[in-house]
Amino acid sequence: MAVIKGDGVNGKSAFGRVKAVAGHFIAKPPEKLPKTPLPANASLQFLTAAALSLPGLSPAPALAVEEETGILYGYYEESNRHLYGVKSRFHPITVESLLVSSKIKLADRIKFAFNYFQDTWSGATPVATAPQSFGGNKEGHVISGATPFLQNNNVLFDRQMNPLIRDPASGQLVKDAQLVHTLSTASPEVRKQGDFKLGYEWDSVSLDAGGGISIEHDYESRFGNLGGRWDFNNKLTSLNLSLSYTNSDTRSILDHDATPYIWDTTHGFESYNATSTVSRLGKEGGNNILYGNRQDWGTVLGLTQVLNDSALLEGSVGYTRSTGYMANPYKTVETVFIDPDQTGKVLNGLAIGLLEKRPEERNQWTENLRYVQHIEALDASLHFDYRFSHDDWGVNAHTFEVDWIQPLGNGWSVTPKVRYYSQSAADFYTPYMVSNQAFRKNAVDANGRQIYVEADNPNNGKVYFRDGDFNLVDANGNLVDETVINPVNKTIPPDRNKLPAYYSSDHRLSGYGALSGGITLGKQFAKGVTLEIGAEYYTHSGSLKLGGSGEGSYADFNAYMVNALLKVDLSALSIASLGHGDHHHHHRHHGVHAPAGVMFDHMMNSAGDMMVGARYMYGTQSGDILHGSAIAGDAEIVNKGCSSDLCFTAPSGMNMNMIMVDIMYAPTDWLTLMLMPQFVDMNMTTRKLNGMPVPSFDQQSLIDHHTLHEHTTGGVGDTGMYAMFKLFDQSGHHMHATLGFSAPTGDVHVKFRDTQRLEAGFQHYGMQLGSGTWDFKPSLTYTGTADDFSWGAQVNGTVRMEKANESGFTFGDMIQSTAWGAYNVLDWLSASVRGVYTVQGAVKGAYNGTYNQLGPVDYTSSYGGRYWDAGFGINVSVPHGSLQGNNLSFEWLQPVSDDVNGYQLRREGALSATWSYAF
Amino acid sequence: MKLVRTATIVVIGLCACACSPVAPWQRGKLAKPQMALEPYPLQNTFIGHIYNSREASGAVGSTGGGGCGCN
Repeated sequence: MAVIKGDGVNGKSAFGRVKAVAGHFIAKPPEKLPKTPLPANASLQFLTAAALSLPGLSPAPALAVEEETGILYGYYEESNRHLYGVKSRFHPITVESLLVSSKIKLADRIKFAFNYFQDTWSGATPVATAPQSFGGNKEGHVISGATPFLQNNNVLFDRQMNPLIRDPASGQLVKDAQLVHTLSTASPEVRKQGDFKLGYEWDSVSLDAGGGISIEHDYESRFGNLGGRWDFNNKLTSLNLSLSYTNSDTRSILDHDATPYIWDTTHGFESYNATSTVSRLGKEGGNNILYGNRQDWGTVLGLTQVLNDSALLEGSVGYTRSTGYMANPYKTVETVFIDPDQTGKVLNGLAIGLLEKRPEERNQWTENLRYVQHIEALDASLHFDYRFSHDDWGVNAHTFEVDWIQPLGNGWSVTPKVRYYSQSAADFYTPYMVSNQAFRKNAVDANGRQIYVEADNPNNGKVYFRDGDFNLVDANGNLVDETVINPVNKTIPPDRNKLPAYYSSDHRLSGYGALSGGITLGKQFAKGVTLEIGAEYYTHSGSLKLGGSGEGSYADFNAYMVNALLKVDLSALSIASLGHGDHHHHHRHHGVHAPAGVMFDHMMNSAGDMMVGARYMYGTQSGDILHGSAIAGDAEIVNKGCSSDLCFTAPSGMNMNMIMVDIMYAPTDWLTLMLMPQFVDMNMTTRKLNGMPVPSFDQQSLIDHHTLHEHTTGGVGDTGMYAMFKLFDQSGHHMHATLGFSAPTGDVHVKFRDTQRLEAGFQHYGMQLGSGTWDFKPSLTYTGTADDFSWGAQVNGTVRMEKANESGFTFGDMIQSTAWGAYNVLDWLSASVRGVYTVQGAVKGAYNGTYNQLGPVDYTSSYGGRYWDAGFGINVSVPHGSLQGNNLSFEWLQPVSDDVNGYQLRREGALSATWSYAF
Repeated sequence: MKLVRTATIVVIGLCACACSPVAPWQRGKLAKPQMALEPYPLQNTFIGHIYNSREASGAVGSTGGGGCGCN
């Protein structure tokens, strides 16, 4: 199970404590430096000044920025696995990540940092490994392409326990030496993590404490940490110590589609719960659930040493002790049971997928060395990292990494990187298992008589036998009525004690090596804004393992990852703002911000101005289903909610989260350009309707798939690009027009995971991540101010410019009008009220692929409507201090009246929050 | 404390052979952004998350989070 460093976002700036704030620079200009040869280079002079301007002098890396906010988008995708002639119907796994990180100073010596991390995983990964002859990826049935097949599989072995496969050419049985992964996929899953750190700094000592939580539908992790740093030896040496604790709960749904291959059918609940001390199986609302808990205690002791004026060395040791359930509930170990009583050269075996079993304890140690050398001739730096990690599971791992950071001038830098990783396999890793016992044996009594039990009640303690005439008799030899008893053979399950104590086929515990290379390109713009983009290509291969004997090539894969980061150095902005005090004042005076839910509300004032911002929107729906403005009962929905069909289900809740990044730039004073990438995620719960018609077997499977657990989607949404034109701006009145487009960068192919070997098809229209079409988005905005009052109005529209997107539909066009008023309660605080009226059309067209229509959300006519909302907002502007220019707004939008098309879930409200920084 | 003492001795030993005294005003190069021990902290969080969900030796000793890594 993966663990990431929560503090990685803040950087390991052991010495990064130069107070690079304006006041210090002003107070200690370079000419007041001690009488030593001054560096010729101006920027070096600046940095030296920075290094000297500390309350306590501190060495490198001084530019660990004190106040910074950044947003990163990352994407990861793996290559297809080699399935040896079988065509998988699954796409390989992809991960989309969004990371928002901020650190600010609450007071001179008090620092606060917080991070928000969200990622969405979708696609297929290996769930098991088996010889090719097992047919773990089975083609056929309802779905085209291979699906997992790991249960009750009859397989053949020779006397030496080699798997056998029938040679298609000769028809003879030959040894099957080829292993292959079995792939399975999951519906998209979203993980969200929030963490914080609060720190206090003395001159040579700092202490910090932090904590956080990571939530996904089947795993929740809570963690806390304490850390300290002590600088000594004239701040040439620094000692770091940290302690962390994590407590994580697993609550995995072993659902219908998973049970055929991971359900422990050999034993069932009771037996599993009896043998596992750290996890438990149970039932909850029709779902089979695996519960587990683990705890991790970790500590790191590190020492950083300045070696000379151009080299640094850091050494650290780390230790983690983990206890509890550390297995992966979705991985299975393919296990072949072979009855040793068989005669002949060819043995029959039965292959079953068992839930994997890992030790309940793990002790990991790591030794880490990092060396940084400045290369004078190129003003570059060379980073060399080596890590050795070892544990009592038998996994020994070496990691080497070399980075070369080359500044190129004008704020540009390029960093090529090479990384090599090698690990040995865990002691209990096995691609698959062979157990020398029958999977199921008929039970006999002491006299060798076959025992029978009642088929409908096998555990009632009553046993039966056959007499000499093959009549059924009870334990006392009395004849019984066979038609009443319905006898079946009593069977004995396999003996778990004949299996190894621990076993896992998770390929991440196998022996392999990984080589990766990457490059990061950075550009620092004026005013403390930095853009960094990175790419890395990763090759995982058994043959790359140090010393050889890695896993076979069937497990090899490649992957790539790309990321883009925008960060704003708030302290640099404060420095920049010192010379432009009136400029900011102008902003504040003019830029009385519109309520948080209003977009395109203001322009930049003068040529060269920039603004960065982040916008968060949350919308929630739950409760009644509306038809028009009236509440619709279940009977009405069943009969009328699904066009000419009958409805089975209806939504019971839906939540949408959207994070947008605003980047605004004014090339001239009458034009502002705006780029707005988005990141969205949604979740939805569905219920069965009372009085729904009797479903077919397949329909029942799909209904269970929809209603038994929440569905989530998430990832990059559509990207907006706009131009705002100033129409007039005088004596407190301002008007501008916005013309722009929304590019279809959001995915409109999001599908459910297949269930019961049925193709579950597209998720509902409203769960797709974008519109899929190029959309034209014009708006007209008027704002006015007088004394402590401000007001405004806006009309905006969305016109779909294509007839259908790649998935065959378009959302309806939309027009919205809004008007608001606000009052400055205090110098830094204003409150607003707003009215909004929105009209949106229904979805046009329909999905062009498999799509199972079970409820109103699956019909295009149940989208769009006419809506009235009232908004209540507050706006906070930081008028002075180091965070001057920052603006925070919140608005709650309360639905007043809904008139929906078709049958839709009631809207409960929407929250908007915006942060912006103009400079 | 024993660890701290050992570490201190190691550092002093290291310094004796490798370190030259670096006066505060000679630390300009060390203060350059490319000399930071962790020059790309946010990217490394993202990439580290991927490594940790694909490799068996995680970030030993440090704070949790990061999720199940069950995929």
